[in-house]
Amino acid sequence: MTKEQRLKKRHNAEKRFRFYGLASIFFALLFVLILVHNIFSKGSSAFMKTAINVEVFYDKDLLELEPGVSEEEILEADFFDITIESLLKVYPAKNMDEEDALIELFTTDAEIEIKKAFLKNKNLIGKKINLEITASDDIDQLHKGNYPRDLPEDRRRISNFQLEIYDALVENKTINKNFNNYFFKNGDSRDPEIAGIGGALVGSFYSILICLLLAFPVAVLASIYLEEFAPKNKITDFIEININNLAAVPSIVYGLLALQILLATIQLPRSTPLVAGITLALMTLPRIIIPCRASLKAVPPSIREGALAVGASKFQSVFHHVVPLALPGTLSGTIIGLAQALGETAPLILIGMVAFVVDIPSTPIDPSSSLPVQVYLWSESAERGFVEKTSATIMMLLSFLIVMNFLAVYLRQKFEKRWN
Amino acid sequence: MELMNNVKIKSKNLNVYYGEKQALFDVNLDLNEKEVTALIGPSGCGKSTFIRCINRMNDVIDICKVSGNIEIDGVEINDKNLDVVSLRERVGMVFQKPNPFPKSIYDNISYGPKIHGKGETKSELDEIVENSLKKAALWEEVKDRLDEPGTGLSGGQQQRLCIARAISVNPEVILMDEPCSALDPIATAKIEELIDELKKTYTIVIVTHSMAQAVRVSQKTGFFHLGKLIEVGKTEKIFKNPDNKMTQDYITGRFG
Repeated sequence: MTKEQRLKKRHNAEKRFRFYGLASIFFALLFVLILVHNIFSKGSSAFMKTAINVEVFYDKDLLELEPGVSEEEILEADFFDITIESLLKVYPAKNMDEEDALIELFTTDAEIEIKKAFLKNKNLIGKKINLEITASDDIDQLHKGNYPRDLPEDRRRISNFQLEIYDALVENKTINKNFNNYFFKNGDSRDPEIAGIGGALVGSFYSILICLLLAFPVAVLASIYLEEFAPKNKITDFIEININNLAAVPSIVYGLLALQILLATIQLPRSTPLVAGITLALMTLPRIIIPCRASLKAVPPSIREGALAVGASKFQSVFHHVVPLALPGTLSGTIIGLAQALGETAPLILIGMVAFVVDIPSTPIDPSSSLPVQVYLWSESAERGFVEKTSATIMMLLSFLIVMNFLAVYLRQKFEKRWN
Repeated sequence: MELMNNVKIKSKNLNVYYGEKQALFDVNLDLNEKEVTALIGPSGCGKSTFIRCINRMNDVIDICKVSGNIEIDGVEINDKNLDVVSLRERVGMVFQKPNPFPKSIYDNISYGPKIHGKGETKSELDEIVENSLKKAALWEEVKDRLDEPGTGLSGGQQQRLCIARAISVNPEVILMDEPCSALDPIATAKIEELIDELKKTYTIVIVTHSMAQAVRVSQKTGFFHLGKLIEVGKTEKIFKNPDNKMTQDYITGRFG
């Protein structure tokens, strides 16, 4: 081979390699785009809900309430009759079947919505007010264009009469799309139109908080001890190997462990963020220790020697000099570990967080759901409305993860820049 | 004959092992007070190991075992019960590569006094910082930017900052482990001038690869080879008329 041929071959090899690299990046980006597009196109509509404008008449006789009534009395009062009366006024129904069909257009929580409006303004007795009553899941999906209205009647849940009402409502603009505050405020529900991630958000928040409070101090102190103080011998080698192994243990194993020890033996309340937090902390510990030790190891030994040489004790050299320098790496490692814990599903399913919980937990020992488990739960539901809710929950989860990862990068860069 | 100063540091049958490997063999060496002693020898000959015994810096290395005696002012320091913190307060050290803390110039100097409880008040600390920097001939260059990071200084300035840091706790001995090997000739000259000045107050031990430097700064020179102290004596004598053939070969550049 001549020199020119060899040179050409070398250049070609380089070009080929560049091409392979670019192709891989292109494919990776393509898949990310497909994923993101899929989630966004399905999920973005969940942030809006369909509501029908209804004129509600707080009839004194039907309500049997006097002005100046107390809150407890209102909560106990029966708003069912005025609800039915108000809803039926939306469209003329000829018989009982048609009346039922009309009522079905609204959420089952219509009575509660009417009661809540009254709670806000108790002077409404005997007065009329226009309220936006949430539509049922089917109408919601129909209005968002996700419902196949071209199917023959016997194969759809919405009857021809209901379609007729819907079209009339669209015609006179009494049906609207509003911001879906239920999605953020409410707990889980069997009815997609009023189901929300409120409970899952609070549950995830408590779980991660407990995970952080347990895992961070333990992981940081363990890393400092192992890296700076522990004698280098077979026992510490053994511990190091096992920490690395633990980081690779499938998360479901931690779920089994928690099931046996936390739930069966210690008998902590199941389905609670407390147990979830402890389980996630166990799982996250090695995942924080590893980056934490790496960032301690990255502090140059000359800094330790410098401190020791002016007469600092081992403890002082570590805590005055090494730990502050390792802190950015430690923090970002912790945040990434927490981000992983936030997205963890399998161990939480095993400790019973997969239970159907309607109430929003007020303490970490209340039964609760969590964001990834909520995704799992809704992805199994048949109702059309849960499809968009599943994707919207994934969007929320992803945005939390992105925020946390950015925070990790930001912290690392901010504190490392200071002295360079 | 010129009168020799008092002996400050005395090593007797000092042996050092790194695991299985022996790094120093029966070193007997006396270092005089307020004098500069240079230790020369080829790489890996044990001269750094020797000075790291004087402030017990070898304690940091797990596999390192030291046997024999080192006395400072007649007090044994190679003793498990000795408090290394107060030893290192008396024996400062400057390393091969400048290693200022990634903190401000002021904090670099004030750290030592602070942990030893010297300079209770801010004004006392200010004074210590100023004096240390003046002694290290750095004050004029940095007095207007004491709050800037020490790592932002040039290499030579960083090394003088490290010397100031060593001085700040008012030690009796300063150990220097090839303090100029990472510096350019101008910075080296400055450090050498400084060493000349410092020897009025401190006992200085300097490890160096540069024989010219040993001649310039030291009064006494020890030559190490393969962990053994081959020859020690007045610098003039060692470089002009060594007793040992090996010393002769090394200083004339035949090996090393």
